Amino acid sequence: MSDVILTPSPVSTIAAKDMRDALRDRFILIVTAFLGLAATVALVTGAIALRGDVATYEAAKATLLAIGKSADTIKAPEFYPLRLLRGAIEQIEIIGAAIAILLGYRSAASERGRQTLALIFTRPMRRWQFVAGKALAGLGLLAGGLALVLGGLTLVLHLMSGIDLTVDDLLRITVVWGVAVTYTACFFPLSFILTLHMKQPSHALLIAFAVWLLLVLIAPQIGDTLDPDNQVAGGVFKQLNISKPDQVQIMKGFATYETLRDGIEQASVTKHFERFTFAVLGIKATYAGMPLGPILTEMLGNLVWIFLTALGLGALALALPINPDRLAKA
Amino acid sequence: MPAPMLSLRSLGQSFNGQTVVQDLTMDIAQGEVFGFLGHNGAGKTTTIHMLTTLARPSSGTAIVAGHDICDDPVAVRRSIGYVPENVRLYDTLTAAENLAFFARLSGVANPAARVSDVLALLDCADLADRRVAAFSKGMRQRIGLAQAILHRPEVLFLDEPTSGLDPMGIKMLRDLILRLNGEFGMTIFMNTHLISEIAKTCTSIAVLSHGKLVFHDRIEAVTARYGDDTALEELYLSLTPVGRLSEVA
Repeated sequence: MSDVILTPSPVSTIAAKDMRDALRDRFILIVTAFLGLAATVALVTGAIALRGDVATYEAAKATLLAIGKSADTIKAPEFYPLRLLRGAIEQIEIIGAAIAILLGYRSAASERGRQTLALIFTRPMRRWQFVAGKALAGLGLLAGGLALVLGGLTLVLHLMSGIDLTVDDLLRITVVWGVAVTYTACFFPLSFILTLHMKQPSHALLIAFAVWLLLVLIAPQIGDTLDPDNQVAGGVFKQLNISKPDQVQIMKGFATYETLRDGIEQASVTKHFERFTFAVLGIKATYAGMPLGPILTEMLGNLVWIFLTALGLGALALALPINPDRLAKA
Repeated sequence: MPAPMLSLRSLGQSFNGQTVVQDLTMDIAQGEVFGFLGHNGAGKTTTIHMLTTLARPSSGTAIVAGHDICDDPVAVRRSIGYVPENVRLYDTLTAAENLAFFARLSGVANPAARVSDVLALLDCADLADRRVAAFSKGMRQRIGLAQAILHRPEVLFLDEPTSGLDPMGIKMLRDLILRLNGEFGMTIFMNTHLISEIAKTCTSIAVLSHGKLVFHDRIEAVTARYGDDTALEELYLSLTPVGRLSEVA
């Protein structure tokens, strides 16, 4: 009596349904718009600050020229347009990760609340295909949302800076987009796993946000605060005119402290994302003007960390068996 | 003698050391409408979860449409349809979109055409393009039934299908069940509380009490022995003693 075939893949069927479902309830559009707005405000604020610096420089230059002195004595402000994306990157770090948590929660809680898990799991498919479909949809929504935000910011950047962005600039933004998708994708399986497996989905959301708080806000801040070089503008060693060999010698005495401090920073995927993107966009002065290839080579460790975190959590979501008791409970 | 459509062999389930279903053994023939009775917490839904491969049994096994639920769950899923007690579906999607999704998951070759056929079969073609968010309980139950028969399963599992329906909804559902059984030869496995529905719908019944099978017979034999619905109710209450029921409550 049954007349079934085994195409198309349940993974793509679930992903397509989830994306349509998510887009229809406007949740994704609203949160993406919020992220876009926050990132645009950060971009505009940065641009205004830069314009202020340029105006100050121009005024000083005019004054020097008016009194017959050379303008060479003052340094022109450096203009790397991609640096203006710093605020946007920080918004993606914080709000992007929070959006991914909400997406993961929503993806699992909606199936539990509607009691549709039982309908899905009585179809001729494996349970990992359900998880893979959900992950694919989450990845698609994050990729689409971040493409909209970064695409919009690129346009605003182009219009505000008044200069054409080069192919290299666009390539860097594309690389940052790919890594931002992977970074936010770390948080999707976290809340998805917790929501699918914990007795109360609302408790799962609270725990996911506690982890978010720890990884996104607390760990990177602790790491930064414990770094003595961050406590003085320009760096403590630079202010004290301590040479590089002497710096190395001094730091040898703080090896354990530095290992601990660095360990706290390294534990946070957010810090790896920040280090990588700040380097690629030239936000960190060391990397400004440096070609993309050497930056990627130097930042490979950060990149691997981000990808392994996302892959590890994704693999965990696929591997964990689903408790039948969760099939009919919201 | 043809092989039974469902064959339960010492089927059991335990959660956290507590036995929920114990040593369930029975056969259900092809084309039967089987009524599974029992008090709240008797283990009826757990039994359906095991037979539909949602939960793996702690002991024993069952053969559904010729496939072992433990050894070949995917083959079992190809042969069954399932309607849970409260069908909610996806509120943001239309009835047709919901059904097309489940048709694709079931591997139906032409989902759109099959959805139209099934909606027409259930006399609800007018609901196709409406979002299910606005549906009444009765409408949801019909779409719930539709999602379960899209791939023309050999066995249809219904968990308290009449729960929360008004008398008109109950009659409509009963007619549909009988039609699916009569026209398509589907074997129906139905958990229910409504004894009045049993005599009108079922060809055989079983009673589960505290996880144990305490009665199983064909409906003709039951009605010949116990008479009308009232006598059937007496039989049911005698098999699930009041003292035991109060423990559950």
